[in-house]
Amino acid sequence: MKSKILILFSITLLALSTQGAFAGDIVVITNSGVTISTVEIKDVFLGEKQFAGSTKLVVIDNKSVQEKFLSKFLGFDIAKYNSIWTKKSFRDGLNPPSTKQNDSEVIEFVKQTPGAVGYVSTSPEGVNIVR
Amino acid sequence: MVDTENSRVNHHVRQKSACLRIATLCGMLFTQLTFAQAGTEGAPLHGFADAGFSLHSTKFAAGVLDGTSVGAPTGFNVGSFDIYLTPQFDSNTKALVELIFEVTPDGGIATDLERVQMGYIFSDSSTIWAGRFHTPYGFWNTGFHHGAQIQTSIFRPRFLDFEDKGGVLPAHMVGVWGAGRIRGDAGKLTYDIFAGNGPQIAMGPADPAAPNIQTNGTLNINVSGDDNHRAMSGLNIGYEPSGDFDGMRFAIHALRGEIADNSDSSLIPTALNNTELNIVGGAFTYLENNWELLTELYNFNNRDVSGSSGVYKSSASYLQIGAIFTQLTPFIRKEVAVLNQLDKYFSAQENGQSYTRYALGFKYDLDQKASLKLELHYSEFGAETGRTAYSYRSLHTQYAIRF
Repeated sequence: MKSKILILFSITLLALSTQGAFAGDIVVITNSGVTISTVEIKDVFLGEKQFAGSTKLVVIDNKSVQEKFLSKFLGFDIAKYNSIWTKKSFRDGLNPPSTKQNDSEVIEFVKQTPGAVGYVSTSPEGVNIVR
Repeated sequence: MVDTENSRVNHHVRQKSACLRIATLCGMLFTQLTFAQAGTEGAPLHGFADAGFSLHSTKFAAGVLDGTSVGAPTGFNVGSFDIYLTPQFDSNTKALVELIFEVTPDGGIATDLERVQMGYIFSDSSTIWAGRFHTPYGFWNTGFHHGAQIQTSIFRPRFLDFEDKGGVLPAHMVGVWGAGRIRGDAGKLTYDIFAGNGPQIAMGPADPAAPNIQTNGTLNINVSGDDNHRAMSGLNIGYEPSGDFDGMRFAIHALRGEIADNSDSSLIPTALNNTELNIVGGAFTYLENNWELLTELYNFNNRDVSGSSGVYKSSASYLQIGAIFTQLTPFIRKEVAVLNQLDKYFSAQENGQSYTRYALGFKYDLDQKASLKLELHYSEFGAETGRTAYSYRSLHTQYAIRF
C-alpha cells in the first residue's frame, strides 16, 4: 500500500513538473488586433518591422524572462541586444522596446494596447499566441 | 592697448557664448528631468562622452626629422560630449535631435547642432526625414559618427573624418532623406536616397606670395542655404542576406553635386573654382560570429566646371578587420587616399593631400557602457603640388562611455 502511494505521489510530482516545464516556455503574444508570423519575431524586436498592416507595433520586453526569450528567438544575449539597439537608436532615431517587470504586467499591457507585442512564460487568454 | 581691449571683448563674448551653451544643455536636462518626474517616458536622452591621451612623433620630411609637431597637441584631452534625443510624437511622426560639445585644439569649446531631423514613417519600407542629418553614404558615417563608445577604433578613417578634422567628404547635409527596408525571403534590401544643399569650400586667408596654390580650405555644409543653388544628391543601396550570411551587408553608393570655393578673386586669378563632384563606390561589412570586418571604397570622377580642364580621377578606401574576444576587440586598419591635385576639389582643401595610414589597436569593454581603447598610427603623406611629403607616428588612448 505504501509503495502504491509512493508511486502515485511520484506520478503526481512528475505530472506537475512536466506542466511546470511547459509553463516555463516562452510564448510570444500580440494584441488581438495584430497578426505577425513566427519568422517576423526577430525583425519586430529589433525594430526592423514596425508595422503590421497599417497598425504601428508597440513592442514590450519582459524583464523576468528576457534572457530566455533573446536566447530562444533572437539567438543572442542581453549585452548584444542592448548594443544593437544603441546603434539603431543612434542611426535611425528608433527607441528600444520599453520593459515590463513580469508576465502579468505584459499580459495586461498587450490586452489593452492596440498593436502591442510581448512575450511571457505562460499561454494567456484574450491575446493572440504567435508561438 | 587696442589688442588688450579686443582680447577683453573677445573673452567676454566667449564667456557669454559658453553661458548660452551651458544654459541650453541645462534646459535639455531639465526638460528630461521634468518628463521623468511627471512619470511619463518623455523623449529618451542618450549620449556619448570621451577623454583621452595622445602622443605624436614630430614630422619626418624627406627622411629627416624636421622638428615640427603634427596634429593635435600631445597630452590629455577632452574629446566630445554628445547628447541626442529620439522623441516619437505619434505612430508615424518622430525626430532625432543631436547636440555636440567639443574642445578645440586651442582650448575653446565648439558647439554644433549636429542633427535636427524630423521624420515621417509611411511604412517599414518608407521613412522621410527633413533637416540636418549625417550624409548616408558608406557605413561609417551614419553607423558611428560621434558615437565614440560604439566604434572599435578611436579615430575614423581620415578621409571620412568630419569636415573640420581631416575629412574630404561632406559628412553632414541639410535637405531631405528617404530611407527604408524591403524584406524578401533570402534577405533584406535597404535604401537611402537624399538631396540637399551642396557644400562650399571655405578658404582661409589667401597667400599673396603663391596666388595659384591655395590649400587651406575646408568644407562648409551650407546650413542656412545653398551658395550656388546646386543641390547635392546621392543614394546608398544595400543588401543584407539572412540565414547563414546573417550580419553581412553589401552596398553601393553614389554622390553628386557642384561645389565652389569662396577664394578671393582679387588675389587669386583662377578663382572662383567650381567642381562637379561625382563619387561612386561601395561598402562591405560583416558584423557577426565575433568578427568585425569593414571596408569602404570611394571613386571620384570630378569635372572642372569653371576651368573646363577635364575630368580627374581619385580614390579613397579603407579596410578594417577586428576579432572580438568577449570584452577585448583587437583590430588592424589600412587607409589609402590617392587624391589628384589637379582636381581643385582636393587641391583647395587643407586635408586634400594623398596619404596612407596604418592603424593598429584594441578596444576593451569594461562593461556595456564603458570602454578603454588604445591605438597606434603610422601616417605617410605624399609629395604633391603645393604640399610637402612627411610622415609621423602617433599613439592614442581613450576612455569612452555611452548613456
